[in-house]
Formats: sequence, structure tokens, C-alpha cells
Amino acid sequence: MNQKGQTATAYLFLTPFLVVLAVFFCFAFLRTIYYSFTDFNLFDPPKLIGLKPYADVLGDSSFRRALANSLLFAVITTTLQTILSLLMAVALNRKIRGLSFFRAAWYMPSITSSVVITLIFLWLFQQQGVVNYLITQLQSVWPLILTFVLILIAVQVIQVLWEKSRKLPVGYFDPALLAASALIALFVTWGLSAAGVVTAHEVVDTVSRPGQITPFLYQYFADKWLSIGGVQIISVPLMVIIFMNTFTTIPTLMLFFLAGLQNIPTALYEATEIDGATPFQQLMNVTVPMLRPVSFYVITVGLIGTLQMFDQVAVIGNAAPTDTLITLAYYVYANTFKSGVAPVYMASAAAIILAVITLLLVTVQRRFISPDAV
Amino acid sequence: MTIVAPSPSSAPLKQQDNTAFLNRRRWARAGWLYLFMLVMSVLFLGPFLMGTLSSLKDNPNEYPPRILIPQLRPTFFMRAYQLGVQGAGDGWNGGLAPGNTVTFDVRVRNPKGAPQTPPTASLFVYQPTGLVNLARLAQAKDYSVLKVAETGVTGDLHSYRVTVTYAPLTAQTGERVRGELLPPQGNDLMATVNGKPVKVTLDTPQAQAHQYDLQPTQPVQLIRRGDQYFLEGPLMARLPLEIDVERGQVFVDSTLPPSDVQNFGRSLAFRNATPGILGYTFNNYRRAFQETRDAGTGRSLFLSWTLNTFAIAILKVLSAVVFCSLAGYALARLNFPGKNLLFALVLFVQMVPGQTTFISNYLVLKNLGLLNIWGLLVSGLVTAGGVFLMKQFFEGLPKELEEAASIDGASPFTTFWRVMLPQASPALIALSITTFQGAWNDFFWPLVVLKGDASRQVLTVGLQSFRDVYGGAGDYGLILSGAILSAIPVLIVFLIFQRYFVGTGADSAVKG
Repeated sequence: MNQKGQTATAYLFLTPFLVVLAVFFCFAFLRTIYYSFTDFNLFDPPKLIGLKPYADVLGDSSFRRALANSLLFAVITTTLQTILSLLMAVALNRKIRGLSFFRAAWYMPSITSSVVITLIFLWLFQQQGVVNYLITQLQSVWPLILTFVLILIAVQVIQVLWEKSRKLPVGYFDPALLAASALIALFVTWGLSAAGVVTAHEVVDTVSRPGQITPFLYQYFADKWLSIGGVQIISVPLMVIIFMNTFTTIPTLMLFFLAGLQNIPTALYEATEIDGATPFQQLMNVTVPMLRPVSFYVITVGLIGTLQMFDQVAVIGNAAPTDTLITLAYYVYANTFKSGVAPVYMASAAAIILAVITLLLVTVQRRFISPDAV
Repeated sequence: MTIVAPSPSSAPLKQQDNTAFLNRRRWARAGWLYLFMLVMSVLFLGPFLMGTLSSLKDNPNEYPPRILIPQLRPTFFMRAYQLGVQGAGDGWNGGLAPGNTVTFDVRVRNPKGAPQTPPTASLFVYQPTGLVNLARLAQAKDYSVLKVAETGVTGDLHSYRVTVTYAPLTAQTGERVRGELLPPQGNDLMATVNGKPVKVTLDTPQAQAHQYDLQPTQPVQLIRRGDQYFLEGPLMARLPLEIDVERGQVFVDSTLPPSDVQNFGRSLAFRNATPGILGYTFNNYRRAFQETRDAGTGRSLFLSWTLNTFAIAILKVLSAVVFCSLAGYALARLNFPGKNLLFALVLFVQMVPGQTTFISNYLVLKNLGLLNIWGLLVSGLVTAGGVFLMKQFFEGLPKELEEAASIDGASPFTTFWRVMLPQASPALIALSITTFQGAWNDFFWPLVVLKGDASRQVLTVGLQSFRDVYGGAGDYGLILSGAILSAIPVLIVFLIFQRYFVGTGADSAVKG
């Protein structure tokens, strides 16, 4: 096939894509840049007003909150989800029966829509909801848990010392001994609780004497903040969303890491084993460097995705005060569809800022986190 | 991972001892691993399982939340069926139809010294609160009589039977037909039976007493005798029953457990005493379809949303399969000027947030008059991600395939269509699934494009309006059942094509 024929065919094949790309991306992107220098409001023809939209946006306190929320959300969520999914993948990188079942089960949060998950989480995190109920239960059985843990440690130490005296090579986290210790601790705690030596706290509405606790009825989606020195850093509703987002993304990212882990030659681990490396050293010196390309992909996807966080904010809507959850994406949307004369020029400026931040963060992590990737 | 034996220097042991010790450790390690996986499964599935379970409850907000709920107990399941049969001859949908008698049993503990009088029973008005206010439908209260009788005593346990009788409004006999009332024409009350309008005759004083309080759209049961239709009575969707016990008496149990208990346990409300299985166990699911009607057309909004979502998801899958593979093939296998630039653009597009381009895209679609699902389709005809996926796949195929085809004199299109595309079925399945999932779960863009008309929404946007309307009142029964229902299709697709889900993305990520 000659070069000329190929060019014609290629453009023919690409036509639908090029049209969509030109209209819905290139034109849209350039037009947004243009709008961000005008006084556009969806109705009147736009007039150029220079850099004023950017000044207006930066002067808007709700934009600054949206910027802070977006950046905090993106950085914290990406960090959490990357580390946790890596650890989970390492824990599961074994050939065991039933793994496909567990994978399928864990994948559930990633396939359902963010709207469905947000609605379920709104329900779970109500004032009289399941999460508050579980926290109440946990508070009430606290003495039992503490007893269990203390007995577990004591029995484990005794067992390990005994085995060591028999010259067996055991560590303090030996799984077999730990299982035995856990069983013993369970029975002893159960016995102590049945005998009434250790009891769970009683849950009552008002606290009148020791041994009683009030039900935990924390209102999560309210104007509650974590502040340092009077500066509101991060809101409780946003922390709930961070938790939720991490929950939904871990399984997918874990699968990426698992796929990467299967490509690491076992010989590397065997070599470090002979050199006497601990599991932690193996993780830091073999696994993490070998997973660089995957990590790069996971972090990039994570940053791009989290910076665009919109669905959760829109679904929670007026259930939480605006400032606690507003993100850049939501700010853009809300300013475009504001009732009356919408400040679309401000929305456009914010949209451009969002795009610049995304590109900047992706470039920075590419430069500093994984220099030899790609 | 293999278990490597500890270095021999650490313990001078007999070989056999050491093997047993290592075996024990291996088993224990596997045990802990399975425990960990089980815990993670509970963590990842817990919210969905708890949500599904609670969506069956009368009141998903009950505190403390229970895991064992009456709606799933076989006894109550069967009783709901029997009560539905008694009320309307329909064990699934339940309801109350004229000519039926329903019996409902209650047991009460009347200790010595407490009043020994039977509990009082009454019917109350229950109107569904929908997205739009429906016309006030006929209530069981106005058409039936109720009687309480004691049926037995053991110790201080007294059993009572509540009998609800719905006498027919006509004494005529003939074929029973069901229909729906229409707005009256002149002095005639009209109804549709099997799609055709008929005149309804009110032949008894009891029937005539109701001729002005019946609303159009009210379902009714008629007796056909020749050409004449006699009103036997309106059909009620539910029988809301309230039972009050005296102070000092204690309610023990009843045919169905109460859906609401008030007044220190003495007032028991049964939202529906003739529920049938769908009305009892799947009440919230039925409500999601029935109580969300369009004010103008009366069509179920939830059903419209589901159909819209299916339509857009399937259209998008079809367009992605055709156009992404064409573009991906061209980028992977053909040489043309601007190729590298275009590929760089594909990567760039994937990085720029959708919020940057939506203002212009919204205006474009608005000017084209495409603020509907066709607009959704047009703007998402080919996605950069899909093109990227197909390009990666086509690059992996051997070159010889094309060369052989081109020696045989095949045109580039024939080569693509007959030789290359059939090879790409794994990638096409992966592309279809991710596109389906993406279209099904998409929220931001439909929210922008489908603003306004409620019946043209897709599920995600519709569900969000559920929360807007009911969130304050906390009608989580409806919200949860809607959420669970809307997750089912994508879940089914996932369960069938699991390995393709796991495959997508991961491979290209590993490649770097």
C-alpha cells in the first residue's frame, strides 16, 4: 500500500473521531479560554475584559474554599488509595484458592455508580444511622476488646518464649502461635464476660454512673471542621467523602498493582531472601521500585480523577453546608447554572485554573515521583 | 509466595520436626490470609448488603438497625401472600377488592388488674407521597366494615380476630371485570375496560352515595351483565389498619408485625394489612416504580429513566465499537502526517477535566437543539480513552496478518473489517463493557445536558432528584431501593464479563 493511499484511508478512518475531537474538545477548550477573558453570562454577547475574571475568581471566598478542598481531597485521597491498594495487593499476591471470588466481591464498589454509593453512604452516615450505631457498639464493648488484646499479647509472648526455649526458630508474629493465642484469648474473654468480671458498657440516653455510655449520634454532614489555630483546614463531610472515595477505588487500583506484581520475577525475592532481607526491606527495595510504571499510572489516574470530584458533592447537595464540600468542578458547574445572570466568565476562569492545576500536578509527579517511567 | 526454610544454622533440629513446624506455620498463614480476605469482603460488600437489606424494611431508618428483619422471614412472607389472597385474590400484589373478607389476628397479654376489654381496631387514611401528588384515591376506610372478636384465652394471653368486610356496592351477578374510571361525561360515570370506554351504572343507594367522591384514574371492579356495567366498588391498593390496646395491656404478636409502633407500644399501625409478597417484602421497590409518576402523562418516571439509561448505554457501546476501533486502527497501523501530534492530543484530552469544556459543549448542543439523549450520544460518539485502548491492542497484533491480506489484494477497509477486527474481539468486549459501565454510571454530563424535563433523565440524575425531594424527610426506603435497582444491570454485566473488567487498563498500566 502506498503512502498516499494510507494517508487518505487513515483520515477516512479517523473522521468521526477528528470531528468529535475538534468540536467537543479543541473548540470547547479554546472557547473556554476565550470566555475566561470576557464578561460572558450565557445571554449577552461576550466582551473582552482582560484578566478581570481571574481577579474576580481569586477574590471569591467560595472559590478559595473550593480550591483548598479540591487540592486537599486530591492529595489525601490519591496518597491513601495508592498506599492502601499497594499494601493489599502485596498481601494478596499469592496463589490461593478462591481469590477470584474475593476479587469479584471487592470489585463491587468500583462498578456501581458514584451516585448510588453516595446515596448509600448518606444513609449510613446519618445521625441515627448504621455508622453511628456501630461506633456506639464499639464503645460499649471496649472493655472486652481491651481484655482480649491484652490476653492475646500475654499468651503470645509466653508461647514464643516457650518455643524459643525449645530452640525453634519463631518470631513474635508467628502465625500459628498467633492463631492459638487468639483462640485462647477469645475463650478467656468470653469466660470473664460470662462470669461478670469484665462487662460491656451499658448504652443509655443519659450518663449517670460509670459503666454507662450515651449513644454516639454524630451529625457528619454538618458544618464541622478540623481547624488548626483557628484556620479551618478540612471539613468533616469532606473527610467522609475521602473515606468513601478511597473505599471505592482501592479494589480497582489493587488489581493494577496485582497485575504488576505478577510480572516481578520471583528470583529477585529469592535473592534478597538469601541476603537476609526482612519483608519490609523486600517491599521497599524490590516491590516498590519494580512497580514504578504501575504506580505512575495509578497516581496519574488518581490525581486526574480526584481533582474532578463532582458527583458526590452534587448528590449530597444541600444536605451539607456548601463550604464544607464545594470543589472546583462543582464551583464551575454552580456558577454556570446560577439562577439569573450567571457569571459564566468566572466559571470559565475557574475551569481553566482547574485544567492548569491538573496538568501541573501530573507533570510534577511525573518529574519527581517516577523520573524513569514512560 | 514460597516459604523458604530458615537457614540451617539457627536450630539444630531433626528434619521431621522441622517439616511439621513449617507445615503448621504454612497452614496458619493461609488461615490468617483467608480471615483477612473475609474481613475485607465484609468491608467492601457491607454497605451494599446493609443497604439492600434495609431497602426491604418498612423503615430503613430504624434505630438500632436490625439485620434479621421480618420482611425476610418465611412465616411472614407466607402470611403476606395469604392476606393478599384474602383481600384481592392476588397473593403477589395484594390490595382490597369488593366482595372480600380479610381476617387479621392479634394476641394481647391482659394481666390481672388490667382492663380486659378487646383492643380497638380502625382503618386509617394512607396516601402515598409521590414525586407528584396523585389524585386522591379511594380509601378502604370508606368502603368496609370492621369487627373485633375474641377467639381464645390461655392464661392472660388473649387472642382477637379483626375481620374487615368489604361488601359489594351492587347485588348484580355476572362476569367480574376490572377497569379505571374516566372523567364523567354529562351525568354518566365512565370507565375504561380493556382500553374501551364504557358507561358505569350505579344501581344501589350504596353505590350512588359514592358517585361524587370517586376520582378519575381510580381503579374499579365492575360486574358485566350483557352490555351493562355495574359498579361493584373501587379497588384499593392497601388496607391500612390501626390497633390500639388499653393501658396495662401488652401487645404480643399479630398475623404481620406492625410497621410502626407509637404511644409507648400501645398504638400499632399496619401500613398494609393485605400486602401480598410484593407489597410486603418488596414494598419500597414497588413504590420506586409506582409512586414516581409524571404529572402530565402518568407514566412511571423510574421506568422512563431506566429505559433512557439502557438506550443511551447501548447506543454508546455501538458507536464506540465502530468508531474507536477505526480510529485506534488508523493510529496504530497506518502512516499519515500528524500522527504523533494526534496521539499526543489523545493523551492530553484524557488529562483535561470535563468541566473545562462543558460550558462550550452545553452551548453547542443547545444551539443544535440537542439537549436530549441524542446530544449525549453525539458528544460522546468516540472517546479518547476508547481510541487509546484500541490503539494499544492493535499495536500488539502481528504485522503478517495485514501483509497477507494486502498481497491478496484486499483494500485497507477490507483488511480492517475482515482480518483485523475479528482478531480484536477481546479488546472490543473490554471496550463495550467499559463504555456500558461508563454510560450507565455517568452523572455530570447527563445532569448538564438533560436539565429540566423529569421524564427524559437517566437513572443517576433521577436518583439524585430522589434525594433532593425526599432527602429532608428521609424517605430512604425509596432512595435505597432506587439505588439498588439502578446498580443491578451493571452488576449483571460485571458478573458475566468479570475477567474483561479485571483485564482492562491493568495490562496497559503494566506496560507503562
